Amino acid sequence: MTIDQVAHKNYHLSKLSQSNVNFIECCHLETGYISSLQRPILNNISCQINQGEFVALLGLNGAGKSTLLKSLVGLVPLIKGEIKINGVSVSGQNLSQIRRDVGMLFQGGGLIRQLSAIDNVLCGRLGARKTGKTLFGFPQRDRILALELLTQLGLKEQVYQKTGQLSGGQQQKVAIARALMQSPQILLADEPTTGLDVVASQQVMATLAELHQQGLTIITVLHDLALATEYAQRAIILDNGKVIYDGKCENLQARFSTAIK
Amino acid sequence: MKSISKLQIFHRYPWFIPLLIFLLMIGVYIWALQGLKVDFELLKNSWPFITDFISRLFPPNLQVLDIAIQGLIETVQMSVWGTSIGAVLSLPIAIASSSNVAPLWLRWIANLLQNAIRSVPSIILGLIFVAATGLGAPAGTLALSIYTIGYLAKFYQQAIESVDHRSLESLQVIGASKIQIAQYGILPQILPLGLGYTLWMFEYNIRAASVLGVVGAGGIGFQLKSYIDGFEYTKATTMMLVLLVVVTVIDWFSSKLRRYLESM
Repeated sequence: MTIDQVAHKNYHLSKLSQSNVNFIECCHLETGYISSLQRPILNNISCQINQGEFVALLGLNGAGKSTLLKSLVGLVPLIKGEIKINGVSVSGQNLSQIRRDVGMLFQGGGLIRQLSAIDNVLCGRLGARKTGKTLFGFPQRDRILALELLTQLGLKEQVYQKTGQLSGGQQQKVAIARALMQSPQILLADEPTTGLDVVASQQVMATLAELHQQGLTIITVLHDLALATEYAQRAIILDNGKVIYDGKCENLQARFSTAIK
Repeated sequence: MKSISKLQIFHRYPWFIPLLIFLLMIGVYIWALQGLKVDFELLKNSWPFITDFISRLFPPNLQVLDIAIQGLIETVQMSVWGTSIGAVLSLPIAIASSSNVAPLWLRWIANLLQNAIRSVPSIILGLIFVAATGLGAPAGTLALSIYTIGYLAKFYQQAIESVDHRSLESLQVIGASKIQIAQYGILPQILPLGLGYTLWMFEYNIRAASVLGVVGAGGIGFQLKSYIDGFEYTKATTMMLVLLVVVTVIDWFSSKLRRYLESM
């Protein structure tokens, strides 16, 4: 499935969801108490995100942005509240079903630096292939798809290069390609532009915007308010584990300053 | 309030804690020296005996060069197999000991096993296997394998624990199974470091194998001990020189290889 095929699938999904059913629902989320912060990281968070939205999660360090993002794929244990994705609760027995539809870009990419770009991208198919099938490598069709994705993201020359030798921007693109291998409906990105120069940051954000235009729901943690204003449709500002602003990305600088005092 | 005033003292006199540590260390060294009961007068008078012994080691008797080389080849062969068997056995123990992979109860058992193996000296392992398989290289090889586990399991464990946790989390989110995470996430990250440690162990085992010969567990140490026991010191020197050359060459080669692996 190439970027276009991913887009095609997501376009139909977005049409199906015209009924405006909340795609992601977070109700009263609360994590365990952290003594150093003297509060839970997530402290009674509720929000709804619709299919096809591009949402920027903003806030100061320790506000709970990354934790909220990780909780959407069940990486953070909750002591209160519930998350539903497409009507399915994010909990133990449903995790594999949920994760099949969600791609995630970790801070710094979360790639295996010692593997080549194509091998990292192929790892995106691990969830869809049984252990025995990947013991001696991946099927040819997976390799062709990985190659197509890397080519479309402008990394044709770096396909067989070790990921650790690529620039930060190139690594993020490899991470995006890996996430797309899952053909997800939702893409979560944890600070995808951290450590990148201005050009690389713009390139990564432009790629996310392109995927959004093709129907993918995107939720990204950002520190750069200008990037959020330029690319996202909606901003959720967190402070001390609570949502303090949820709305359009207009006048974000002023809203941010007013909200966080 | 009391603790705050103590903290203020430490802030006012920042040299206090380093001085306390320094005095404590001096105290430890004096205590250790007292336990050794070193007779400095005897040491001063023993110098002529040391020089006399060293002078009897030279010139090396090259007539036993072929025996030395034969013993050395056997030592290298023991080290190759001993290190390899030990490395294979170390891997599951290392996985079971790693805090980012194994549950607490399993870690506890695996760490206990590691400590138990590490606390047995190689020479005792040699004696055990000589009793089991008789004199010769097989006993030494088995002793080296067990000895290797004590160290490589710990090194591999540290390599596994230093794996980037975000990369493993990302595979977990993709839906990879535990075996897939081990194959595509952990193994590529620990391989360069693990191979470097294994090479270092191979080099170390060549020296350890020489000691094992003393209890009859094969290798160059067996001849070395025989020559020293028979007061044939010049022949013993040949053995030691051959060992020195080989250890230096292997050290040079494995250093280069380790550097290459670390850069991967």
